[in-house]
Parts: sequence; structure tokens; C-alpha cells
Amino acid sequence: MVDVRLNATINGRKVSRDAKPHLRLLDFLRDDLNLTGNKEGCGAGECGTCSVFVDGVLMKSCLMPVAKAQGAQIDTIESLAKSGELSVLQKAFHKAGASQCGYCIPGMVMAATAALRANPFADREEIKERLGGNICRCTGYQKIFDAVELARDVQNGRVPATALLETDTADGEVIGKNVRRIDAPSKVSGRLKYAGDMTMPGMLHVQVLRSPHAHARIVSIDTSAALAIAGVESVITSADVPGKDGFGVFVHDQPIMARGKVRYVGEAIAAVAAEDALTAKRAVAAIKVVYEQLAPVFDPDEAMLQGAPVVHDYAPDNITKHIPIRVGDVEAGFAESDLVIEESYSTQAIEHAYLEPEAGLAYVDHDDVVTVVSPSQNITHHRHMLARIIDKPISKVRFIMSPVGGGFGGKEDMIYQGMLALLAMKAMRPVRLVYTREESIISTAKRHPSRTTLRMGVMRDGRIKALAMRMVCDGGAYGLSTEGVMRKAAILAAGPYNIPNVRIDTYGIYTNNTPSGAFRSFGALQTQFATESQLDIIAERLGLDPFEIRRINAMRDGATTHTKQTLGSVSLMRALDAAEQASGWEAGAPTVRGGTRGDLGHDDVRPSVTLGTRFAATGTQEAAE
Amino acid sequence: MARKRGRGMAACWYGIARTATVDRAAAWAEIDDGGSAKIVTGVTEIGEGILTVLAQIAAHEIGVKPEHVVIGDNDTARAPEAAHAGASRQTYMIGNVVALASREARKRLVDVMAGMWDVAAETIRTGNGEIWAENTNHRISMGEAVACAKNRGVVPIGSATFGTDTTAIADGKDGDGSGRPWQAYVFGCQVAEVEVDTVTGEVQVLAVWAAHDVGRAVNPQGVEGQIEGGIVQAIGQGLMEDYQLKDGHASTSGFAKYILPTSLDVPRVNSIIIEDPDPIGPLGVKGIGEPAMVPTIPAVMNAIYDAVGVRVFNLPATPEKILLAMREKARRETMATQAAE
Amino acid sequence: MLICDEYLTPASLDEAFAAMERHRGRYRVVAGCTDTLPWAREGRAGDVEIPVLIDVTKIPELNERQIGDKRVRLGAATPIQRFLDDAALGRAMPAMPRCAVWFADDQIRAQATLGGNVVNASPAADATPCLEAHDAIVELASAKGSRSMPLREFITGPGKTQLAEDELVTGFECDALAGFGGSFEKVGHRRSLVISVVCLAVMVKLDRDGRTIEDTRLAIAGIRPVPRRLREIEDHLRGKRLTGELLEEAADMPLDLVQSRSRQEYRRDVVRGFLVRGLIAAAKRAGASPDALTQELEAAYG
Repeated sequence: MVDVRLNATINGRKVSRDAKPHLRLLDFLRDDLNLTGNKEGCGAGECGTCSVFVDGVLMKSCLMPVAKAQGAQIDTIESLAKSGELSVLQKAFHKAGASQCGYCIPGMVMAATAALRANPFADREEIKERLGGNICRCTGYQKIFDAVELARDVQNGRVPATALLETDTADGEVIGKNVRRIDAPSKVSGRLKYAGDMTMPGMLHVQVLRSPHAHARIVSIDTSAALAIAGVESVITSADVPGKDGFGVFVHDQPIMARGKVRYVGEAIAAVAAEDALTAKRAVAAIKVVYEQLAPVFDPDEAMLQGAPVVHDYAPDNITKHIPIRVGDVEAGFAESDLVIEESYSTQAIEHAYLEPEAGLAYVDHDDVVTVVSPSQNITHHRHMLARIIDKPISKVRFIMSPVGGGFGGKEDMIYQGMLALLAMKAMRPVRLVYTREESIISTAKRHPSRTTLRMGVMRDGRIKALAMRMVCDGGAYGLSTEGVMRKAAILAAGPYNIPNVRIDTYGIYTNNTPSGAFRSFGALQTQFATESQLDIIAERLGLDPFEIRRINAMRDGATTHTKQTLGSVSLMRALDAAEQASGWEAGAPTVRGGTRGDLGHDDVRPSVTLGTRFAATGTQEAAE
Repeated sequence: MARKRGRGMAACWYGIARTATVDRAAAWAEIDDGGSAKIVTGVTEIGEGILTVLAQIAAHEIGVKPEHVVIGDNDTARAPEAAHAGASRQTYMIGNVVALASREARKRLVDVMAGMWDVAAETIRTGNGEIWAENTNHRISMGEAVACAKNRGVVPIGSATFGTDTTAIADGKDGDGSGRPWQAYVFGCQVAEVEVDTVTGEVQVLAVWAAHDVGRAVNPQGVEGQIEGGIVQAIGQGLMEDYQLKDGHASTSGFAKYILPTSLDVPRVNSIIIEDPDPIGPLGVKGIGEPAMVPTIPAVMNAIYDAVGVRVFNLPATPEKILLAMREKARRETMATQAAE
Repeated sequence: MLICDEYLTPASLDEAFAAMERHRGRYRVVAGCTDTLPWAREGRAGDVEIPVLIDVTKIPELNERQIGDKRVRLGAATPIQRFLDDAALGRAMPAMPRCAVWFADDQIRAQATLGGNVVNASPAADATPCLEAHDAIVELASAKGSRSMPLREFITGPGKTQLAEDELVTGFECDALAGFGGSFEKVGHRRSLVISVVCLAVMVKLDRDGRTIEDTRLAIAGIRPVPRRLREIEDHLRGKRLTGELLEEAADMPLDLVQSRSRQEYRRDVVRGFLVRGLIAAAKRAGASPDALTQELEAAYG
């Protein structure tokens, strides 16, 4: 290997040092120079968390071999507030509430800086276009646009710099005020350390061997060749688990590494701790696994049929969980109805796509406490499960929740922390694991894909008499949160409406697909998509305004829910009124009246996007236009 | 017209905190030297803004400025159980318990000062870093008050636990699902305005008006942030995101193939915050993280129908799906017209 | 992960050829690296070990730009962003800036090169149809000498070109089309950083009155193994009076353009609409007489 002798100016300082030739600029900055402000979100130039200036031009440092930086002037997020004083843009991000998890923010601040350098008077539409290479998963971008506009106006003197300061709470009242986020300064400056930014002395790097098969028996695992590689410290498989293996939110059906068989592509089989990530990667490739293929099942409806392959022995029907809700007599309700509509809906699996891929460190401390530092959304529960898995009292297991670079439910599962703990115990050295984006996508939970049949019976005046819903969800290979998702989906399925006759059945099913798990809105999104779509179908048939049909059926104060709970105050009518008024909704039945309605295109609607707003601004083209 | 616009709406409801089980959380509070406050609880920021919310709540309850509140580490060995960062429960569970712990710490301090000043504890007020007794000239800084307390051997601390009065639901084999899954419910409604490009089938969501009950908005900007983020995630699911497997193998394993909304794919979001206070918790707060996402997809699908007369039953509503559905609709309408002639 | 033992950055063509000779069979030529690095990841090529990477972006010949009255010569290492920053270039290649705003994002455009986009020979490459519309000639060089060939012959299939093992693409010679109005129509699944499902480059030159089509260039990609020039449509339009009927007629020509295996019906529909939309936009930018095209037509396709 021929090192690259790199001479560059980085954040104003001359740097002259050797770098491995395969490093990307991002690796060099983060690993060799410990400039961890810019992040790695995808490694493929698709997210912008790694954006840095190269000779004044913003570039994605994950797409740049380090040798390309030869002689260049590189400025990272750390350069913007080098004096300790945040830049105007950083202050504007703080003020506008533009950072949430913060993981995209260093790159986003860089992109915004580049945008205002390119055009200090860029309007909101041009700002959007110039930020088009940076993904944010938390904010919905609105507050980011607000921040860039605020910074632009402060820089141009159109707004005083005091607009960047804290909201006045001189009256002592702080509830209900837009107090600036206390975590924002560390996020906009890149100072906050996420788990993947942390290191410990003597730390080993972990890589994971994953299943290429969806359903297969593991005949044997031979790790000897991996262990023979210089620099490899430890290799673990399920055979190394000292206690009772198994995690999950409701059923503990998932071993921390595949035990006996694999149930989905990407399932962890073994993990290696080595002196560096490349060595660990080579060791993973040297592990030999003999599989015996088993018939897989990928479709949840097929999985429920007699004779289907069984994913878990404890659930021979492949049903992870069925949740029933029963009110009144639905068949009688349909019989009484003036109109009965039945439709089918489906929703797809989606990925949480938090910008921070999973990462964690583990070590055994001086008191023999096994400690895991990771962006876990549930350290309390993880501690309970890990204690059982590694056969230690709870007092000897410690979880520290590192700043979470986006979760959305996807970091509730103890997917990798068990491997980290085992390796730390085996190596008796700190270990760190950082997932690649691809690893994160293929091996962690998704939103449950669903298939729903919904039958609703209504009276001519719009009153719902009966609702029957059956939803089958693909829970994938392991239980994770499936049971809870099915429960929440069912409880909320019929919507906030008074319906005398209800029959709801939700089924979470095991298959050999990527496991489904917790995801923001937890089943309620799937069921209410069906119910709220169907209400509009019915409203059209009955000639009712969509607000009207909902008001006719709306739960009011003191309503009884479909689980027979009596509610106190019910704010649904207030929400309906508020949305109707704010949008200036023009009443009418939903009869494809977009072409004639008069409430479109108000001031609070954004313009339609056509790329190229910058042409008007910079005049690079077409005097004719 | 090549670009057709339409509007749709949808409502939602949601339960706050863990479902059909008893939820609980605990916190410690200390009014520290110099009049700052220290809060320790076992959960941290996942981006929703909980640290700021907790600082505001502690500041409000104790009477200090939010910037003088320190939130301690989230560590199972160093902090009381707060359980998970999910279920739209952070402001509700942790916010309420921090309020209770802060009240207890404040009460310790107030009791000392009431004794010193020889006034009834109820007449003592705190705020903005000061403590005073109504209708007297007793007024000192919180820092001075803490020093007074410590001189009397009192460290002004508090601790609290907050649990929900909830039950499992009857979801066994012959169950009817009855039970009390949550003690706090929220409701919401969204209107979406879309533009459908009938040449390409692309849908642009131009605006969403989102009205959501949050109980009580501790930080309105943070609430808006949750609504805006939730809506955009829902638009991702509604229009473009699709994790695809073939025989168990993902064909969308990177961000080049797994398509997420960019800055050019998002609507203007107009949030309307509704405050219908929770009567059970000490603060009236509820939650917003998840419910914000629920009505968006049906509102957008209803709007697409309003614009071009096609309804997408199978998500996501990709340009291809929309355009082919429009062609199919046109074909059916032509056939119907021909049949009628 | 892309693993190499050596990363070379030759400063001249001779140095590059010498390195290629020295490391024969063990090297890969790279330019912007914006596709090579994502390629070497899980789900695509996975971990790739290539002993030597030879980065050609510092070679002066590959960074040249000459704009003449008839022809434009661009070095292969020209970054896509240059079409947005360089006004003279934008005038000579009027669809290219429109293409460039759709090309990946601001940052990748600064790294990604024209030569890389062509050599990758992706069926969905955005810049290639534009070059095709300019009758681009690909210039190739090796230690033995140089040669050139039309772009349409150079790209032979998805990921396949006539580039010989010891050769480099050094540049492109293209028609200078100042005075044409340009447009670039593209659809994917979102509006930034997106792979084309269909993309179309259109250029139109009108007479002084803005009523007659003097010349036009069209090329399409995303719908077949290699980009395709639409000469039949150009021939149909050339010399004719600019009307909505003419544009629709052109769009309705039965050319059976869509050869992709997926989304055929969808792509056919989009192609038709894009042809009319792209021609309208290009004609307007070429100075179409305000009464040449009706508002109804613009509303129906715009």
C-alpha cells in the first residue's frame, strides 16, 4: 500500500501527513484528523451529511478520494465557528428551530452557507433548490428554509441581528414560548458527539457477518480462518451467549445472532472485533458458514395458509399477534345501512432512514459493569434484556443513551447492542460498531406493510352504522414491536367516530422478510389511511362535504371509544373547525371538483416547483426569457 | 390543463404514551448552588426537542431561567427510569414527572424561606431566578435562597414518579378489545393542496394545513417542528418511499434507490396548535410526535382524487401509478360514452 | 468499500499512459468518482479491491474548453457544474444548463465529469442525450495515438462503450448551437438527486419572426439501452411553421421509442407529453412569436 502524502490547508491550518490511498476525504477528516463534525449518513453522495468546502466549492466528502484534496483548501463545519462565535447562519438555525436530531445539520449548515455565498439574495425557492443535495429526515425542511431566509435578511441588513436572540421571557413565563433549543449550538457547530463520533483508547472495530439467505438452517460455522488473521481480537457467534438468548419488545424471539437457523437476509450470524475496520471486514469474509436451505415464505397471506413454512416453532400458524375489537353486531349494522362500501387498501414497507446509521460502543468498566453506549430509544428495556442474555445481575449492566440522530421507532430494538456487549466481554477491550447505510437498511426494522379490507355501512344522512376491517401485516422474521403495532392499529382503526357496530381484526404475521417494527404512528397510520380514504368515497356517494361527514360522526366530549373507554374532553370538533377555517376550505362534496373550486392557490401555498429558479436570478441563460 | 390542482382533508386520533399497559417515568430535581436547576432522568433527545421542553418545564416550576437548567445524563446506572423515547410520550410522561420533581424541590426551598421570613409558604413566589414573598419586601435571588437553605442543612431536592391509570385491552382469543389503553387522547385534522402533473403523473403537495390538539404547547416552535417533520415523512410514504424485497433480498438498500423527500418535494406546512389541556397530568400537556403523521396520507390521496379523479388504494402514489390510473379512467369513460351512444 | 493500494494523479497524458502501461490489468481510470465510490458498496459491487486507481482529472487536456462558431470542444474532465457557471458555454449548448440543474445536485455536479457520465454509459445518464443532440464526437487517446468517433457509435449498450483497455476519453467535440432555445424534461420519483425514468433534451431554432422552425435537435434517454437521437422528428419539424398541431403531430409519430423492460406504458405516455412540452419550452426560449402557440396548448402541456 502506497500512502498518499497529503499537503492541504484544513480549516486554515497547514496539514501534511500520510493517508492510506483508499481513504475518502471524509474518512481522513473524521478518523485521521478527528474532525467529526461532518457525518457519514449514506456513503454514496445521497444525503449531504458530509458536505465540506474544497477550495471554496461545496462537495460531498464521501465521494472524494483523499488524494483529490492534494493542495486544496478544505473547510469543514468546524471552520464556521472557529472563534467560538457561531456564524449568522448557525445562529439563525438555532433561532428558527432548524435542528432536530442534528445529524444532517452540519452538512445542511454547509449547504446553506454555500447557497447564500452563491446568491446572497436567494429567495426561498432558490434556497430549496440549492439545498437539494442534503436530506433531512426530522424537520420537514420548513424551519431550515426559515433559518436560511432569516440569515439572509440579517446579512443583508433587512432584519436586525437582534432577531437571532432568545425570545424575551422577562415576564418569567417560559411555557408557551419559543425558547431556543438548548442542544442546538452543539448541533449547528458539529460539536455534538454521536456514538459513531466517539472513540476510546484501545478500541477495537466491529464488523458483522450477515445471512445471504432468507431461510436456512445453519449446519456449521467455522471461524478459525478469521481468528488466524493478524489484528483480529475476537469472533463471536450465538454459541458465545452465556445466558438466555432472545430480545424483542413483546416476545423475546430474536437471538442476538442467528441461532440454529437464519430467518431473513441480513440477519447477523457472527461478529468480529479487530484492530481496524478493514481487518474486521476481511475476517468476516473469512468465516465459513454451511447452510441448508429451507423453504422460505415471503407473503403474509400465504404464511397463514396450512402447510406454509414455519418461521418460528412456537408459532406454527406464523401468527405473531391477532388483535380483535368488537362492538355491537356489525352484520346487523350493515343490514340496516342505506349504503355499504367495501374497498381494499395496502401500504408498503418503509425505512426510518434516520440520517444517523446505528452505532455503538461497549466496554467493561472497573466494576465489571458491562456498559453499552448507543443511540437506543429504550435503554431501560435494553438493560433488562441484555442482563438476561449475558447472565448478569441488572446492576452489572449499564446502558448510556448517546445523542440519537433520528429514531422514529427504528432504534427501539436491541439489534446490535448485544453483539457489542459480548465482544467487549470477550476481548476485555472497548469495541465500536458503526453500521453502513446499506447495513442499516437491510438489517433493521421497517414499517409494517399492510393489506386491509374495509367495509363500511352508512345511512343516507351520513351516519356510520357499521365498520368491519381486517388488516394483515407482514411482521417479517422477528416479533420486535409487531404485537404492539397490531394493538394500536386496531384500537384506533375506526377513527374518532361514534360507530355502534365495529369489528376489527389486525394480524401480524411472521415471514422471511426483513422484520417490521416500531415506526412513528405505529399501525395507526395504516388503518386510518383506509378509514379516512373511505370516508371521502362515501361522502362523494352521499353528496356530503368531507368535513360534514366527519362532523356527523365525530366523537364529542364524553364519547365512548371502540374499546369501551369513556373519554373526557374530545377536541376533534375544534381540530376540524380550525383546519377548515385556516385553509379557507370551500365546502362541497368530494366530486373531483379541483378544476372548479375557488379555494386554491392562497398565499399560504407554495409555488409549484420547476427547477431552474437560479436562471432568473443569475441570468446565465436566455436573454429571450 | 397539464397541471391540475385539488384539495383533500382527513382527521385523526391518537393515544399518548404506551399502549394498553401502565406507563411510568421518574425524575430527580435539585435546585443547585447559584440558583440553577439540575434535572436527572433516564432519557435523552432523539431530536424532538425534549431537552428544551424539560428545561422550560423545570424553569417554570422552580422559577429560574431555562438556560440555567442542566439536564443530567441518560444512563441506566445514574438516572431513574424514564423508559423509552417513543409512543409520543416524552412531553407527557417525562414532562409531567419533571414538573412534579421540580415542585417538590421548590417546596423544600420555599419551606425554608417561609420559616426564615416568617410568612406562609403559599405567599411565596418564584420566577426569573428570584424568590419573594407577596406583599412584603422579602425578595432575594434563587442563588441566595439556596445558600440559605444549605446553611440550615437543607439541600433543595425533589423526586417524583408519574404513572398512568391505564389497563390492558381484552385482546385474547374471544376478547372484544375493551379496556383503557390510554388516559390522554389527541385529535387532529389536516387539509392538503396538491398539484398533479398530468404529463408525468407527478404529485406535488403544495400546502398542508395541520390542526392538532397537543394539550398544552410548551414550545410552539418545537410542536410545529414535529408537525412539519411528521407531514413530510408521511408524504415520503404516500408518494415515493418503497422498501422493496425480492425473495427476501432488498433492492433498495441504499439512498440512491430508497428515495426520500428532498427540499424540493415538501409542502408549505401551516400549523394550527390546539390546546385542550389534559386534566390528569400536572401540566395539561399531551403529545404530538406521531399523530402529526396520521392524517397526511389520506388527505393527500383525497386531494389527488379531487384533482384528477383517481384514487390510490395501494401506496405509494408514484407518478406511474397516477398516470396509468388516469389513462385507465379515461379509457373506461370513453367506453361508457360509446356504450351509451 | 473501494480498496486500492495506490492512487495516482497523473499530471499529463503521457504520465497517465505510462501508468496505465505499468499497471496493465490492475488499474481503473477514475475521474469525478461520484459513481465509482457508490458503485463499490453493498447492494451494488460490494467491496472492491482494485490495486491502482488512476485519476485523470488533473490532466490539462481533459480540462480544456474551446467555443468556436461551429464547434465546441470540451475536455472529458469538464465538471457538469460548468454548464451553469459558464455563460458562454450555456449559450453554445442551450439545453445543457437545463440538464445540469436536474443533474444530481449542486455538490455532485461540481465533482462529476462529462466524460464520466458518458463512459458509464448508463441508460439513464442525463448529459448523454444532450451531447447526442449536439452530434458529439468522442475523442479518444492512447499511448499509440488518438482517434475519434460519433457518440452514438461510442456507446454500445448499458455500461458498454468502444473504449479500448489502453484508452482514455480526452474530450468531446460538439456542434455549437448558439441561437437555439433549449429545454430538458426529466421525470423520476422526486425533484432533486434523482435518476431519470425519462429524460429528453430539446433544442429549437426559429426564424427571425419566431414562426418557422429552422432547425431542431432532440434526443431522449432513460427509455432504452442507449440514448437515441430523434432525427425522424427533427426532419418532420424542420422548415415547418411552428404550431401546436405540428408539435402534437411530431409527438404522435409512431417511433416505438420505449425499449425498457419496465414501465413501458408509462414511459410511452410521458415521452409523448415531454415531446410537446419540451418543444414548447425550447421554442419559447428561442423567441417564438407570442401568437404562434396558443395558450390552450401551453396549458395542456406546460
